[in-house]
Amino acid sequence: MSRSVWKGPFVDSYVLKKAEKSRESGKNEVIKIWSRRSTILPQFVGLTFGVYNGHKHVPVQISEDMIGQKFGEYSPTRTYYGHAADKKAKRK
Amino acid sequence: MSELICVGAIAGAFGVHGEVRLKSFTADPAAIADYAPLCTEDGAQVYDLQLSREIKGGFAARLTGIRTKEKADALKGLRLFAPRDRLPSLPDDEFYHADLIGLHVVDTGGTELGRVKAVHNHGASDLLELTVPGQSNTVLLPFTMDVVPTIDLTAGRIVADPPEGLLD
Repeated sequence: MSRSVWKGPFVDSYVLKKAEKSRESGKNEVIKIWSRRSTILPQFVGLTFGVYNGHKHVPVQISEDMIGQKFGEYSPTRTYYGHAADKKAKRK
Repeated sequence: MSELICVGAIAGAFGVHGEVRLKSFTADPAAIADYAPLCTEDGAQVYDLQLSREIKGGFAARLTGIRTKEKADALKGLRLFAPRDRLPSLPDDEFYHADLIGLHVVDTGGTELGRVKAVHNHGASDLLELTVPGQSNTVLLPFTMDVVPTIDLTAGRIVADPPEGLLD
């Protein structure tokens, strides 16, 4: 069953506080969080979070199309190394 | 010959008519045929490749000179390579993982941060995984213009400006 709309999206309160503090300071820093269950909100766009995966903080730069997803979706807990072959990386 | 890049591997024979079971490592699995002829790691054997059909876990393929199941079986585990110069050129700010892996990463002051071990994409931006000298753990660096302003492939060097707290 999905979450009731009247409750609004779930976000751990410390994530909101850290994000607000970082935005006010205007510094280019990684906001380390452990809350993988928190929802990505519109005010997080442009910030970089270090989302814990049980081992390390994976840097996740928040873009508009990630709003509504959970932080944990972008920080996998298992490691996979494939072959490089002809795979490409784009610098954004 | 230019640098070789592993694009696939043979998982064994397929059927009894000399076809092989081919695993493709390319971004678009069927694109492995575009890089044919493929060679072995030492470059001693060169095989032209023809994909017959898609099968579970890869492709059924025919290699030149392989006409029997016994010969196809003997190739099990063989990795197939393509020369780097056969990959098409890319627009600016797009890079092949194979080109990035192994590059030295330095910060804006010239201090060495590590070497690129792998390139990941977990759904957000691409990430460079760095091995840090003297440490067993690795560091992840977002592959963005802000964090990685300069990439010099000829010098084998990346200049990075990691945000505060990333390397802790």
